[in-house]
Amino acid sequence: MSAVPVMDETATPAKLRIWDGPTRLMHWLLVVLIAVCWWSGIQDQLQVHLYAGYGILWIVVLRLYWGFAGSSTARFAHFVRGPRHMLDYARTLHRRDSAHSYGHNPLGAISVLVMLGVVLAVVGLGLFAVDVDGLYSGPLSSFVSFRTGRHLAHLHYRWFEYLLAVIALHLAAVVFYYIYKRQNLVFPMISGSRTVAGPVEEDLRTVPVWRLIVGAAIASAVVWAVVYGYYYFS
Amino acid sequence: MGFCLAAVGAVAGPAEIAQIKPRQDKLRDMGGALKAIDDELKKRTVDWDNVVVPNTQTIKDRSGYLLNWFPKGSGPESGVKTYALPAIWQKNDDFVKLGKAMQAEAAKFAQVAGTKNPDALRTESTALGKACKACHDNYRSPDYEKENED
Repeated sequence: MSAVPVMDETATPAKLRIWDGPTRLMHWLLVVLIAVCWWSGIQDQLQVHLYAGYGILWIVVLRLYWGFAGSSTARFAHFVRGPRHMLDYARTLHRRDSAHSYGHNPLGAISVLVMLGVVLAVVGLGLFAVDVDGLYSGPLSSFVSFRTGRHLAHLHYRWFEYLLAVIALHLAAVVFYYIYKRQNLVFPMISGSRTVAGPVEEDLRTVPVWRLIVGAAIASAVVWAVVYGYYYFS
Repeated sequence: MGFCLAAVGAVAGPAEIAQIKPRQDKLRDMGGALKAIDDELKKRTVDWDNVVVPNTQTIKDRSGYLLNWFPKGSGPESGVKTYALPAIWQKNDDFVKLGKAMQAEAAKFAQVAGTKNPDALRTESTALGKACKACHDNYRSPDYEKENED
């Protein structure tokens, strides 16, 4: 996560690859599925809510795997650093001319970890939650009583509100970078790359496709085990 | 405002207020019974005799008394925490109609459970769910989702 120079208009521009396809796809799929879960929860469309929740679990498991086996900027080792590193970065936050970070910046790293943790907490609580009528319930709710399932449903709701706060903070940071620091963080998350003053010194180290296939298979197995595993063997 | 509340509050007597907690407990039992059935139907081997049939019976039996649990005065005007909306008594004909429809579905549900056909019971479970929801959509405060019910 080294700093790279901001674009120099006199130099020949070059394309810097930052995010690989799977990382971008997981990011935007997560956006869509969280929106679907929000909408379906409010509208009481709980069957849709359940399937969207399973999709989110699949993404989170795959993202965790990708954090160890994925391309360079997706790896936790690339962006998760100690508190000192974060403080050093935070001290430069007010500077408008600070350099772009390659991949997640040190504060963005906190955002990624908190986001993944809170999403996992919301999904985890949802797995045990029971709706007030007993008509729909999370796939692991067989392990808890109706009353406990209801309590967990309320916690599921409460933690979703925390998730909304984290998302709001994330969006505020993106707007701050765009307006104050003139750094567009959204476009690279769509295109995968950013134009910089050449030559490119650090490039994305991608990994073979089979690693993604293995990750997708692991995530699918985990989701299957959570959703159907208990019932399949009972 | 205070006068209005006091005037409305005067409608609720001890007998009506005493209905609220048992009503909540019994409705929760019905939810728990439906959950137990739903959990069981997801399994490859369904325990009909010990789980599904007795729980369908619980729902059927409780539903028979359902309309007795809502005497006038046992709504929010009683001062006791309840998600029962005043509309229950304002549009009581409709509420009673929906309650009777639910009773009919609950009886059918118990009957279908006797056939021990999981697909048929799942279909009937959806129909029963719709009957429950029809009432809950209009006559239960949406606040239940935000707060712990205890």
